[in-house]
Amino acid sequence: MKRRETSLFWRLVLRVALVLCGGAALLSAAAWYYARAAADDAYDRLLLGAAIQITANMTVDAGNLGVTLPSSAFELLGLAERDRIFYRVVGPDGRTLTGYDDLDTGVDVTAARTGPVFLTTEYRNVPVRVAVVSRALSDPSFSGWAYVVMAQTTEARRALAGELTSRAMILVGIMSLLALAGTVLAIRYSLLPVDALAAALRARDPQDLTPVDADMPRELKPFVGSINHFMGRLDERVTLLQRFIADAAHQIRTPLTALSAQVDMLEDDDLDVNRKRHLGRVRDRVSQLARLTNQLLSHAMVIHRSDSVRFKPVDLGDIARKAFRSTVPITVDPDVVVSFEDSAEPVFVRGDAVSLREAIANIIDNALQHGVEQRLAVRVRREDDRALVEVADDGPGIPPDEWSAVTARFVSTKTGEGSMGLGFAIAAEVAVAHRGTVRFLEKGEGDFTVVLDIPLYQEGT
Amino acid sequence: MSMWRQFGPLALGAILGLASPAGAVEGTRAFFPALEAERGRLVINGATDIEAMEPLIRDFQETARDVAIDYTDYVTNDLYRDADIACRLQQLFGDLLLSSSVDQLVKLANDGCALAHVSPATRGVPAWANWRDEVFGFTFEPSVMVYHKDFVPPEDVPHTHGELTDLLRFKPDYYRGRIGTYDLRQSGIGYLLAFLDAQQASTTYGRLLESLSRAQAVLRCCNNAVLSELDSGNVYIGYNILGSYAYAAARRNDKLRIVLPRDYTLILSRGALIPVGAKRRDLAGRFLDYLLSERGQDMARREAFFFSRGGALPAEVDGPAKLVESGIGRPIRIGPALLAAQDRLQRSRFIEDWTKLIVDTPVRLRPN
Amino acid sequence: MRIFLVEDTRDVGEAISRRLEKVGHTVDWQTDGQAAADILEFTDYDLVILDVMLPGLDGFEILRHLRSRRKTTPVLVLTARSEIEDRVGALDLGADDYLVKPFDFRELEARTRVLLRRRQGDPTNLIECGDLVLDRNSRSVRVGNREVQLKRREITLLEVLAARPGRVFSKDELLDRLFGFDENVNSNAVELYVGRLRKKIEGSSVRIVTIRGLGYQLVTDEAA
Repeated sequence: MKRRETSLFWRLVLRVALVLCGGAALLSAAAWYYARAAADDAYDRLLLGAAIQITANMTVDAGNLGVTLPSSAFELLGLAERDRIFYRVVGPDGRTLTGYDDLDTGVDVTAARTGPVFLTTEYRNVPVRVAVVSRALSDPSFSGWAYVVMAQTTEARRALAGELTSRAMILVGIMSLLALAGTVLAIRYSLLPVDALAAALRARDPQDLTPVDADMPRELKPFVGSINHFMGRLDERVTLLQRFIADAAHQIRTPLTALSAQVDMLEDDDLDVNRKRHLGRVRDRVSQLARLTNQLLSHAMVIHRSDSVRFKPVDLGDIARKAFRSTVPITVDPDVVVSFEDSAEPVFVRGDAVSLREAIANIIDNALQHGVEQRLAVRVRREDDRALVEVADDGPGIPPDEWSAVTARFVSTKTGEGSMGLGFAIAAEVAVAHRGTVRFLEKGEGDFTVVLDIPLYQEGT
Repeated sequence: MSMWRQFGPLALGAILGLASPAGAVEGTRAFFPALEAERGRLVINGATDIEAMEPLIRDFQETARDVAIDYTDYVTNDLYRDADIACRLQQLFGDLLLSSSVDQLVKLANDGCALAHVSPATRGVPAWANWRDEVFGFTFEPSVMVYHKDFVPPEDVPHTHGELTDLLRFKPDYYRGRIGTYDLRQSGIGYLLAFLDAQQASTTYGRLLESLSRAQAVLRCCNNAVLSELDSGNVYIGYNILGSYAYAAARRNDKLRIVLPRDYTLILSRGALIPVGAKRRDLAGRFLDYLLSERGQDMARREAFFFSRGGALPAEVDGPAKLVESGIGRPIRIGPALLAAQDRLQRSRFIEDWTKLIVDTPVRLRPN
Repeated sequence: MRIFLVEDTRDVGEAISRRLEKVGHTVDWQTDGQAAADILEFTDYDLVILDVMLPGLDGFEILRHLRSRRKTTPVLVLTARSEIEDRVGALDLGADDYLVKPFDFRELEARTRVLLRRRQGDPTNLIECGDLVLDRNSRSVRVGNREVQLKRREITLLEVLAARPGRVFSKDELLDRLFGFDENVNSNAVELYVGRLRKKIEGSSVRIVTIRGLGYQLVTDEAA
């Protein structure tokens, strides 16, 4: 089963939208309630006015209660154009004087003596709003309370309430949309640090195990803390592993030296051609093994130094010369022209001299082992704000499609004989630590060239 | 209330009956068979003379050739009573009710006895002639005075309600028994017009009533009854006659002349209503739409009711050129205000007062 | 020559001794640091080969003692320590050269030879000729900023020729100067070395001119 991908953004938006919907529903309900009340209030006044007009037209004539229904009362109610009107005039004896006899509100009309009574009920199966108004008659010949029950259907009220509600709902809707839009923006803004963190993590060198140091809101701190904790542990592990490799390599050295000593003592003179060939192979393998062991140690050291040694301004020309001298063996083929060319002016970079020397030494060593035929030239020069160490040889070089592979750690283009070993990986590692790169220049008119490219040291940076 | 009735001269068939328990008192009945094979029958109960409705019905059938129409003419009060009873008992009482007594139709609608009808045609009806999309006014009929040219000298011709009062006051003997008007006890429209007269100008109305009383006005159930008295010369002046009937009569008898009062002229819009029990409310709606349509309105102006909302007054009618715009013509608004006229206490007292004055009082003065 | 070897690993010590004795040196071999230090107190050697990791006293201590007594005996340090700082440290303490274990025994022999020669040779290690600077210490020849590594016999050849620029040296004379009388070398060897040297000083104002039938001559372009 594929799990649905969840997005923090959409989760938040969804929840806020739900809250807004709930709020909007609540507000709409409130708006409806108030609109109803307002509509009732408005139309109740008409109802009351009409009823009062009728009571005002009650007359007592010769002991008989009479009432003239003023057209104006009905006209007043007619302001609610579509609503039907029912009324009943009740005399003091409780008999219906005129109007709808069956208009029974179920309310004791005498309650209206203290003031008008309003109620909502049903009459003839339609909802009606009823007002009951009383009038005290105090004619000498006739006294008592008369009542007018005035009822009106509620279409206009509902229409008004509906209109008010729908307008309110439009406003609520617009506000909700604005709020949602604002929320979306706010969430986007709030999530920027997450994106930034993601970008920072993405942009990191996969080998960079230092703590993430980004400006984070408090909420993300635990997360970043966990990452850093994890990275710390991973770094510890890696360090441990490197130390293990270093230790192992170191442990191997002594027996390896001894082995090479034993091999050296074998007198090839006494051997037949076949055995001599085998011995030659053994010598090669031993020296290859020795070289790889040294590279492992060198690599471990470079890594260790990259996060433990403070960089300071150093003369790259000087470092390169030392590396050159220690790397090119005295026993090098005399037919090879091995040259070193320093820059006319000092080339200072900010870095660790030991690591840099190791990097350069490894590049030169690689050229000696795999490249050089007649010519090996090491040059130090500056180009704009870059410091370059170029190691050029007239050998076959490395094809461009393998360039990225040879600088990767523990990756070599070929297994077995002629392996590049860790040389370029070490150089690349050092270059990255110095905010630089290891580049290659294809063998063309000039020789195949490996370039260690590091920013020049600038005062104050 | 008494059950007087009098039938129009052009009645096609009449059955006299007492109110059955169902309340179906039938008046003059006319049947218009479908022009083609009948596919539907529309039952119309109207308080509108059949000769006025006939051209409209026939023209309608041109547009709906498969519809047969069963038309029964009622007196307004009977129509209302039967419709009211049918509504209460949830019985069938036609598919469409037509009545000049719109207050009664408003009352029916108020009592929940009407079906709403909304169509493109109803949207063109002015607000004063439409209540709740249930009661529609489809005519434009001023309440006029009619006089017989041979018996009323030009100087006597009243142009306002006041002038009529004065005429009766100054020449009581000449006009005694020669003024015709509705009998409020029988005619719903008579009552409505009188009630509205009383509201428009209560003083003028009181004086007019007094004058009518003194002049021993001839009381008839219906427009046509008054008009036939005028036609025969028994009555010289008819008061509160609906313009449509008056004009039809004047077309038949050129001695009859029509005056629209210049102080105010009540304008009635005859009402139509689809009762809740209507079996063919679709046909009723179609007919109603026809009545409200341009074609129907045009036909009405030419053949049935002669006056129209927008059009000029018909020829030879004495009245202000622009009836409504001048403020003289006062359309009776179809709406809840008419319920006041329909209040039973109000009505009975009004008619009682009227009867006292017009019917009872003059008895001792009446020579015959 | 007398060489003092301090090495506690038996196989290694044996191999070094054997190789050096084979080319005619006398090798005193000591395995204990303290004992070695004691011996160095009263015995002078032409060269000390010193392992760093030793029982008793470590190689650095021995070196420090040696140098504190202003002894200039050349010291070649053998180190197995992983940190190259050790090498730097060794050089700072006065080691003349170092080799990191495991090393190539031919390289050891070559370096030994260089150190012994340096001891014997001319105290002035810089010889100038035209725009050429011969640096015997770094076994290189410099033209401007560019320095080219030279082999021992190439240096000797250049030294000989540069001592008297313009003079024609016969092939036999050069053969004697390069290889001595005892060595039995083909006279073609001179041509070989001249060829190599020419290649390595290419681009300088100094040239080696072959005078047919007579020999070789060093010519500087400015002088000519």
